[in-house]
Amino acid sequence: MTTSESSATTVSSAPESSDWVGRSFKRKEDHRLTTGKGQYLADIAAPGMAHLVFHRSTHAHALIKKVDTSKAAKMPGVLAVITGAELKDQILGFPQPVVVPALEAKYPTFWPLALDKVKFHGEPIAAVVAVDKYQAEDAALVIEVEYEPLPVVLDPEKALEAGAPRVHEIFDDNEMFALTFTGGQTQEEQDANDKDVEALIQEADVVVKQRFRVHRTGVTPMETRGALAQWDESDGLLAHVTTQRPHIDRLALADMLSIPPQMVQVIAPRDQGGEFGVKAPFYREPILVCHMARKLGRPVRWVETREEHLMCVSQERDQIHDIEVAAKSDGTITAVRDRAIGDAGDGCEGVYWGFLMPFLGAALLPNAYDLPKCDIKLRVAFTNKSALSPARSFGAFPARFALDRAIDLVARKLGMDPADVRRKNLITELPYTSATGVHYDSGDFLKTWDNLTKTIGLTAFRKEQAKALKEGRYIGIGFAVGAELSGVASEVLVPMENQPGYGAATVRVDPRGTVLVFEGDAPGGQGHETSLAQIAAQEFGIHPNDIVVKTGDTSITPFGSGTIGARAGSYTASAVSIACRRLKDKIAVIMAHDLKLEDATPEDFEFKNGEVIYKGGNIRKTFVEMTNRIIMMPLDLPEGVDAGLDETAFFEADKPMICFSCHGTIIEVDADTGQFEIKKYVTSEDAGTVINPLIVEGQVQGAVVQGISNTIFEEFVYDENGQQLTADFENYQIASAADVPRVMVTHAGVPCPHTPLGTRGLGEGLPGPVPAALGNAVSDALQPFGIEITDLPLRANKIWAMIQEAKKKTAA
Amino acid sequence: MNKDVKISINGVAYEKSVPLRMLLVDFIRDEAGLTGTHIGCTYEGRCGTCTVQMDGEAVKSCMLLAVQADGREIATVEGLASNGRLHPLQEAFNEHHALQCGFCTPGILMNTEEFLKENPDPSEAEIRRSLVGNICRCTGYDHIIDAIQTAAKRLRQA
Ligand code: FES
Ligand code: FES
Repeated sequence: MTTSESSATTVSSAPESSDWVGRSFKRKEDHRLTTGKGQYLADIAAPGMAHLVFHRSTHAHALIKKVDTSKAAKMPGVLAVITGAELKDQILGFPQPVVVPALEAKYPTFWPLALDKVKFHGEPIAAVVAVDKYQAEDAALVIEVEYEPLPVVLDPEKALEAGAPRVHEIFDDNEMFALTFTGGQTQEEQDANDKDVEALIQEADVVVKQRFRVHRTGVTPMETRGALAQWDESDGLLAHVTTQRPHIDRLALADMLSIPPQMVQVIAPRDQGGEFGVKAPFYREPILVCHMARKLGRPVRWVETREEHLMCVSQERDQIHDIEVAAKSDGTITAVRDRAIGDAGDGCEGVYWGFLMPFLGAALLPNAYDLPKCDIKLRVAFTNKSALSPARSFGAFPARFALDRAIDLVARKLGMDPADVRRKNLITELPYTSATGVHYDSGDFLKTWDNLTKTIGLTAFRKEQAKALKEGRYIGIGFAVGAELSGVASEVLVPMENQPGYGAATVRVDPRGTVLVFEGDAPGGQGHETSLAQIAAQEFGIHPNDIVVKTGDTSITPFGSGTIGARAGSYTASAVSIACRRLKDKIAVIMAHDLKLEDATPEDFEFKNGEVIYKGGNIRKTFVEMTNRIIMMPLDLPEGVDAGLDETAFFEADKPMICFSCHGTIIEVDADTGQFEIKKYVTSEDAGTVINPLIVEGQVQGAVVQGISNTIFEEFVYDENGQQLTADFENYQIASAADVPRVMVTHAGVPCPHTPLGTRGLGEGLPGPVPAALGNAVSDALQPFGIEITDLPLRANKIWAMIQEAKKKTAA
Repeated sequence: MNKDVKISINGVAYEKSVPLRMLLVDFIRDEAGLTGTHIGCTYEGRCGTCTVQMDGEAVKSCMLLAVQADGREIATVEGLASNGRLHPLQEAFNEHHALQCGFCTPGILMNTEEFLKENPDPSEAEIRRSLVGNICRCTGYDHIIDAIQTAAKRLRQA
């Protein structure tokens, strides 16, 4: 295809020998994971452990008339059978404050097991605990439930209509959440803003008005969910849970089970088989596992089946956007109006409640474009589907698709190249606050953008495209961008999720000069054990192999809200850095005192190659000497200085930070079949100072392929009765290696001024620009037919039908 | 109903009485305690995380009953390194950052170890095709391809 004119800055500019940040250091996690020694949740067992299996609803909406567990209870090996009716009197139900956002919405009351009605196909109704996994499965199968089917409501627009069947009887209607994101806090301000936007639309040179629909799909990890609970009368609850937020789970479990929090320990296994947001909610199943362990006085484990997983979680996206974009003849966008609709499913899910994803998606809609005038309103409906659960590019995936597709439509109307319209509207002056109130701290969007168009070879491509068309070949180019959260500041997370946003780390220096770093969050493949070790190594001037990072255990790590929103590289890395720096200051003060360097300040000391160096007089001591002296020989310390080298730091940026990513792709469509091939996929990143280039490249490539897979292959399908048809990997198709292109990752970043090392976290939002980039490229290729992609998934059969339609029209 | 089986895993013989319906993957994980072989789907044979080798051939251990492996030789990821030395594939996966969460990795290693014996000098397209039975959700596959190419080269030179 096109020859790349690349002079792109691929990172790995060789760092100084003592620099650990910026180096593709080989991951410390890999030895155990490549030799089969990883310990994922299903690999952890406890003596005498019993197995829990759920019996789930076969109906999408039905009253439960009767649950007969008598046969199940008599099956061999069965220790207990429990139903919702029984459970209701034993533990508290949702909502509990720690897992409820500080946003006004309809929060349904629910228990881990359904009480008198089921609201989606797959909702847990009862559970069996048995000695053996096979026995538990057998017994769960013979539980008999008598249902009285109710009318189902699956389409969010229909759900919002008056008289629609209600998903939750306690509420008057199915409108779970509604919000105006623009104009101000009061109705008057919002009305005035809406009027302004209307006026701008009226007087614009061009207006594009289009509905965009993104289907239900998500980023299901290869490891399903699970929990292993142990109970001890004096120690309390020990729960291993597949989770991104062990500290929040701990508080929530304590609340729901009425256990004093000091008697609850949650461990997120250090090996988790992918999370991507799916393991961030506080789900109902682990609560029941913990309760049953307490009740039976023996360890209980539940390992989710893939079928359960696909029926109940990993379902995201699923939004409708009716969007209007007004522009001047030079391509400047003057106003955007969006009416978004989200489908929350039954909304029964701790922390996210099915609506926080569309909420954030609407807030992030303006993306990296300078759009001072927007009118954005969202409505989220309850339906008889499983609750939306988060997936990376949290809520933003459909919003990115809608706006970045609409921009191409604007360009078409103006006869401009979409790339030019895009560039014209990118934010050039940062910091910037969007019309929805989202703060963008810094970065150079144009630099990152220009790097992309140059790398992919836009100019040469247009020539080639014209030539190809003459040969009857349809090739197209598509772009999209993403200004994504890089960590979620308390300023955002407190109102949004009722949780703090800071990053936390404890750094504990050993007398032998080695270091332990404790992180309260819980990674699942992002390589924190390596990246955070590189940070501490950089600070102390020691080798990353002399540093061990511990994660996910609430009894030893500082409080953190979880591995969410790309915060490790920005927030957690900064907390590690700050804790190290405080300890370095302390070491310097003590060294100055010991050497009687009266005027020396901590700035006069350097930590490098295992030494602490007083730069003034080139006086050196080894790091080990100093750590041993301070921890093991706390004699004659300077006044006011304590012994020991242990420090916990909480990092909070003053304002929310972002990372920026531009995507470009070249696609060839076979007009006879509708089949298409991604010939090239390039990204240009502003990730600030990159800690580990190879890890970052892996994050980007993985996320882009997830985006491609979501856009083209994956779709959760429900039939008209709300039966889920895609609860296995045969029907829920995830892209294989043979289905996807290489992803070329380039960097054009500038260090972040708000973090100690200039780093930015990235990863969370990365799939976001993918669907628009693909949709734009296919539409670009098919301009001779006037085809515009507006609905996902993007499938060959649909494209083929559109081509046939277009051909018919021209023939007529 | 139970049956006595003798299954050798990584050269160690396990003699057990197992229910007829026990899956091979459960035998490997629960009876032999080798948890490097994973379960990623509801036994539809699609994800590939349970891939092991039976008599040298890569198979999905969730698609077989333990009794079908009676008298056979099973190789799992735990046996891939020999005499304390990592297999070139394991080394290359580390060098190229070919794993993130690592959940798919054992299955991919066991599949690819056999593949490279049959096709020691594969093209990128052939490698991609060889992986269609192993889903990786994290990496986007590029680094896996890079690692397999590096390992193939080293194995050819060895
Ligand atoms: S567990 Fe998925 S293929 Fe065997
Ligand atoms: S590394 Fe996570 S599934 Fe492959």
